[in-house]
Amino acid sequence: MALLGPNGAGKSTSIGLLLGLLRPGGGSVAVFGQPPARAVAGGRIGAMLQENRLLPRTTVGELLAFMHALYRAPMPVDEVLDLADLTALRRRTVERLSGGQAQRVRFAMALVGRPDLLVLDEPTSALDVEARREFWTVMRRYASSGRTVLFSTHYLEEADQNADRIVVIAGGRTIADGTARDIKRLVPGRTVSIDAPDSIADCLAALPGVVATEFRAGRAYLSSTDSDETVRALAECGWLRGLEVVGADLSDAFLALTHAQKEVAEP
Amino acid sequence: MMAYMRLELRRTLRTPGFIIFTIAMPLVMYAVFTNLSSFTGQSKHDAALYAMVSVGGYGAIGALLNYGAGVVTDRTVGWLRQLRITPLSSLKVVLAKGIIGIMLGIPPVLAMCAAAALLNGVRLPVDEWLAVIALLCFGAAPFVLLGLGIGYLCTAQTVQPANFLAYFGLSILGGLWLPLKIFPQWMQTLGAYTPTHGYADLSWRVVFHDPVAGTDITVLVAWLALFAVFAVVAYRRSASRRDA
Repeated sequence: MALLGPNGAGKSTSIGLLLGLLRPGGGSVAVFGQPPARAVAGGRIGAMLQENRLLPRTTVGELLAFMHALYRAPMPVDEVLDLADLTALRRRTVERLSGGQAQRVRFAMALVGRPDLLVLDEPTSALDVEARREFWTVMRRYASSGRTVLFSTHYLEEADQNADRIVVIAGGRTIADGTARDIKRLVPGRTVSIDAPDSIADCLAALPGVVATEFRAGRAYLSSTDSDETVRALAECGWLRGLEVVGADLSDAFLALTHAQKEVAEP
Repeated sequence: MMAYMRLELRRTLRTPGFIIFTIAMPLVMYAVFTNLSSFTGQSKHDAALYAMVSVGGYGAIGALLNYGAGVVTDRTVGWLRQLRITPLSSLKVVLAKGIIGIMLGIPPVLAMCAAAALLNGVRLPVDEWLAVIALLCFGAAPFVLLGLGIGYLCTAQTVQPANFLAYFGLSILGGLWLPLKIFPQWMQTLGAYTPTHGYADLSWRVVFHDPVAGTDITVLVAWLALFAVFAVVAYRRSASRRDA
């Protein structure tokens, strides 16, 4: 499951509450029907937090052996090392790991206890493209064993490729919850832009897939949930001038969505 | 908890300079202090005994303070938060840290006693050896708490100076470097109430066959309580800054 939202949406806060690191200002939090602290103490949750670095002056093998010892039915250390592609780095001290390697160690530490729920807070935010790809390969290998993984991200593509269920949050509220296909229908994944005068704004807004329009310097920027359909419709209308299709800036897209929701909720 | 202690022990032994500062340096200090040419005969033997306690204690306190203050690293890298999302309870974390701290005080004390016996021919009955070693090792417990408090209160930049200030300040005032007797009267009075003096004086009284002083015990226990409060307050402060 993916928790998707722009920076500042409340992803890390939600995860902090879920793990019992933060206390709710109102209401209550339950995990597996119990308070988060008890679920954590019982070893049912494993987590990888965003800002945590690895403990200095330890080796990969030592850290994993330590985590291994804390749980009742953990995965053998060799198996975890193998799963996270760390076998060759077992004796390496954490100071000499690359960013991607350190992230895989943190991942391995979170899952060595075989938790019922694995929580990853923006697992790839600090990684380069190659390390990110390696990370998801390892992640999918683990998830295929049939355990629940909850991760947060601000990349729609990551959520789309790696999650069965996506919950979209923005401004501290849930604005969508469904399968990747449901979400892609709601959240504009692409921005389609053309040269156009703002006199045709209403026509553009009515095109298939378009959820928001904006005009800047003689160009129309259309946030679209289905760029293929939008472009096809533009072509049929004969408006294809200086066409450009780019991945949407999600923060803007989410903002548009939250505003749209508020208008529906508070007419 | 055993696993945590194992991890902490390995980390500490890997700390650059830890063994040099807590064992090698005190040994060198001891060898130099006790072999100054001005000491001869009985006074040389007394100096060897006196310094064995003070420099051995100095080494043990250094090890404990340093280890305790190392919690600043745990804090700043987010390790304490990492531990909070494992089944290991915070009580066990603190207990493990306390036990490791006291264990780390043992090698400097043993090394010093061995040096005293081998270099300076110090001879004590077995029961006095055991009493001195036990007092020097376990009596140092308040300093783990002081170190922990400093580690919770300070940032990675300020922790070293704060630690050195507490370490050298208390060592000098408590008479661990030079006997309190040679200081001005007001410093002697002040020094008698330091935790370092109470700690060392318990052992001095064993080796010089003086009766146990209630004030030493009271002073040490009072400081233990004070440092415990200090550590708890510092911990709360750091927790409220959301970095614990």
